Amino acid sequence: MELSTEKIGDVTVVSVLTEVLDASNTEEFKTGFTSILNESNKLIFEMSNVKFIDSSGCGALLYCQKQLNKLNGGLKLCAVQETVRTLFELIRIDRVIDIFDSKQEALRAF
Amino acid sequence: MKKAKPLVLIVDDNSVNIDLLVNTLKNDYRLGIAKNGSKALEYAGKHMPDLILLDIMMPGMNGYEVCTRLKAVTRTRDIPVIFITAMSEAGHKTRGFEVGALDYITKPFHAAEVKARVKTHLALKEAHDCDIYIASRIQKTLLLGSPPRDIPGIQISQLTVASQKVDGDFYDFFKHSNLCFDIVVGDVMGKGVPAALLGAAIKSHFLRVLNEQLRLSGRKKLPEPATIISAVHSGMIDQLEDLETFVTLCYARFDMSKYIFSFVDCGHMRTIHFHDDLNTCSLLRGVNMPLGFPEKEPFRQISVQFKPGDLFVFYSDGLTESKNVDGSLYGEKRLVDFIQANARIEPESLIKSIWNDVAAFSHSEIFDDDVTCVLIKIDKQALSTVFPDQDKLEIMSDLKELERVRSFIRKFCAKIDDSVLDDKRLNLIELAATEVIANIIKHAYNERSGKPIQINARMSADEVVFEFFDWGRGFDPESVPEPVFDGSNDGGFGLHIITHSVDEVIYSRGDQGKNCACLKIKLTGGN
Repeated sequence: MELSTEKIGDVTVVSVLTEVLDASNTEEFKTGFTSILNESNKLIFEMSNVKFIDSSGCGALLYCQKQLNKLNGGLKLCAVQETVRTLFELIRIDRVIDIFDSKQEALRAF
Repeated sequence: MKKAKPLVLIVDDNSVNIDLLVNTLKNDYRLGIAKNGSKALEYAGKHMPDLILLDIMMPGMNGYEVCTRLKAVTRTRDIPVIFITAMSEAGHKTRGFEVGALDYITKPFHAAEVKARVKTHLALKEAHDCDIYIASRIQKTLLLGSPPRDIPGIQISQLTVASQKVDGDFYDFFKHSNLCFDIVVGDVMGKGVPAALLGAAIKSHFLRVLNEQLRLSGRKKLPEPATIISAVHSGMIDQLEDLETFVTLCYARFDMSKYIFSFVDCGHMRTIHFHDDLNTCSLLRGVNMPLGFPEKEPFRQISVQFKPGDLFVFYSDGLTESKNVDGSLYGEKRLVDFIQANARIEPESLIKSIWNDVAAFSHSEIFDDDVTCVLIKIDKQALSTVFPDQDKLEIMSDLKELERVRSFIRKFCAKIDDSVLDDKRLNLIELAATEVIANIIKHAYNERSGKPIQINARMSADEVVFEFFDWGRGFDPESVPEPVFDGSNDGGFGLHIITHSVDEVIYSRGDQGKNCACLKIKLTGGN
């Protein structure tokens, strides 16, 4: 899976360059995440490309957050599409992971 | 472009008189001369003069008769006629006005008087022509809507022939979705600019009412035709009463998902419905008064079923009330018979042949009233073969198939109206399907690949149902713990998503270890 990273201060902004994050590619996503984990313990997933996500995709995001919390860092999301947000609200991910409209707001929150 | 000088026809049997008139008018006008009544009629019909100077006393056909005949023919009816005669008794003048003359000049005449009267009446005629031109422009630009071209399963063609008077016939189309559109056809009582303007006002009122009603329902539900008519009626009744006029119309909706035609008829011409399977026509008439009458009863709406191959014909009274030379009317029966005999030809050709038949009947292409006609033909090939009401998909147990399942669901739901199933709900259905398939692969088949999964989809008027079949391990939803939402565990999310994304979920296990997860989505009563 293509994850493009950009380091801003001690935060790594990761653009998730896939339209779909479902059971078919969450393993791949987790692998990609693990490979950038050593760069920083503070991550922002820029989600504007993602149009569809399922429970596996959400599980993967929770997994990432747990890993980062263990390293005393954290995960934040930004630019989440409406359809994806609908699911987040359904399984209340929005209460567990901070979601921001823009990258700047997410950066300020660290 | 320089305008040609007006053409004046002089009708007189006396050469001296003709010479006098010619000398008086030749510098300002083009002139035509006829020496008797029948030559005058022939010339008028052929050259359409702008004004006729007509002698009364002529051998053979006299001036009164010439004038009467000119007025009886639509084409020459509006040419102004001035009588010129030696007779000056009041009785003769009265008779001249009775047969349709506009003015009178008595012999011996003064050149200046002749010039002045001709000039005045030509100016009046020009003003009148200008009115008609404006009215016909209003009609072409404001009164006649263009039909939707992109609705699958139907063809529309229309015909409008403006009369010299302009009637205020109007029609328009409102497309709601790929499977539903409305048509309104109407006729304002009265002629010319006032009728045309009122027609345009009513047409725009329909648009406004439609928008208001849609907004009130949060764009979830289309207002019924009867509701639309009621709102238009109460919005316009005061103006219509002030103007002392009324409007006959028919407002109809074609619902291509259910093949139902619902209409509210307010005193308009009966719509013809040709049944392709029975090869018969029925005439659809409502029970409502025209708009503009103080209606107390609620407007009543009537629904009829139609089938592939059926044809609907809407028209104005100008079509059925076209007259032939004897004064008899073309009539509804002739139109119905013609439709019955020709209903199966393409609408574009059919409407041309209707026109040819009416023109042949009346021996004219100029009519007293506007002639409008709209044909709506339902394709012979049922829409259900384009957008099936049932479909199925078979896949193997591989998570890579998830996208294919979602696109199958999107395609199957594509024909459902946006107001019933919006993108957000469709997205939730795709989500639920994704979760069901992922559960089957992960749990029922224990992540083994190459196992069969079958998806059946079906749709009715009030619900969409997706059934997912597998032949793996049975599944008891009770065995799955309620999900926790604190981020500590992602178990049970899938089931929670399925339950909350559709209206009903039923799990069952049938013969030979066939498991079924059935998702139902209601299409009525909002969500």
